[in-house]
Amino acid sequence: MSALGHYLEEKGIATVAISLIRPQTENTRPPRALWVPFELGRPFGSPSDADFQRRVIVAALGMLERSTRPVTIEDFAEDDPRERSDPAWRPPLAADAARSLEDEIAALKGVYRRSVAVRGRSTVGLSGLPIAEAGRYIVAWLHGANPESPVAGMSAPLALRFAADDLKAYYLEAALAGAGRPSSRQQADWLWQTTAAGAALVALRRAHIASPDERLKLIAGNFLVPALRVPPGG
Amino acid sequence: MARLTDLPAAMAERLAALDCPSFTTTPWVEGPPLPQRRVAVVSSAGLVVRGEPPFRGRDADYRVIPTATRPDQLLISHISINFDRTGFQEDWNVVFPLDRLRELAAAGAIGSVATTHYSFMGATDPVLMEDNARDVAGHLKKDGVDAVLLSPV
Repeated sequence: MSALGHYLEEKGIATVAISLIRPQTENTRPPRALWVPFELGRPFGSPSDADFQRRVIVAALGMLERSTRPVTIEDFAEDDPRERSDPAWRPPLAADAARSLEDEIAALKGVYRRSVAVRGRSTVGLSGLPIAEAGRYIVAWLHGANPESPVAGMSAPLALRFAADDLKAYYLEAALAGAGRPSSRQQADWLWQTTAAGAALVALRRAHIASPDERLKLIAGNFLVPALRVPPGG
Repeated sequence: MARLTDLPAAMAERLAALDCPSFTTTPWVEGPPLPQRRVAVVSSAGLVVRGEPPFRGRDADYRVIPTATRPDQLLISHISINFDRTGFQEDWNVVFPLDRLRELAAAGAIGSVATTHYSFMGATDPVLMEDNARDVAGHLKKDGVDAVLLSPV
């Protein structure tokens, strides 16, 4: 990100970068950067908190008005209040170890739709598959079928990656349907510790992490389960 | 969920030292006061407008995000799954703060919001993105942009 600041500024456009990883920014030395103490993935901080986001943006853009010569890295002082757990939040679906992935996807349909209606949007859609079909595709891989890609122009491993992205988004968006305001950790704990989807993705990773197909091995190792959620022993 | 310090040590070290090109100088451009500036967002989150091809790997190209893009049209296709996506899923402004910029423009705190914004894939070696970044700079200039907010994930 900071390198882009160099390239754009060299062409005459003033830039200010948000920095989430201070050592990277210190190494790259962009003209201006505001380091923010937020979790990776949240450069402007707290979701559904316009005032908080505005303070971040104003702090960053304000650096454009100062004539301090490069390199300038300033620190944003506030933490993201949404990193704290919300005790009022409830998972959208009770754990049921006997439920299949396909049944779980169907059971979440209503709550997912409610969530989409409230937020007016969904981020499901990278694979282009309806979510039930994405789930069936993942189950086919899990059963060792090595299915062909259901998406024109996409290899089978790539379709698997995007189907997995869509599956995770479907669940995590369903988790936003209720009145509570969960932290990302609450949502992820629910997905990875209690759902058939989390278990399926972990099992799929384990099944293909040593695949002779390099693309499949890459997808299994890097695109299904976040590093923090890989169980001991894989 | 995942600050740098939360990640496995090897991954955190890799990220901290990730593909940082060595720049001998740091360019510096000044401009008018913020209420006269035209602001664009350039993201490295692998953002893509629904229907456009997602980033498939460490692609060096970029995607165009018209300012008329609606929140339900924007997807995230970054190749790393180790950063939080729930913030973006709940509220796109966490990654792409277009609503906030519009409000700041309406309040007169900035001059205006660009016609077009851009997204790269942040995991790509920046050296490979250089030509495309310069291409984006040309488009930004044509749009009258004189301030860019760089948004990582």
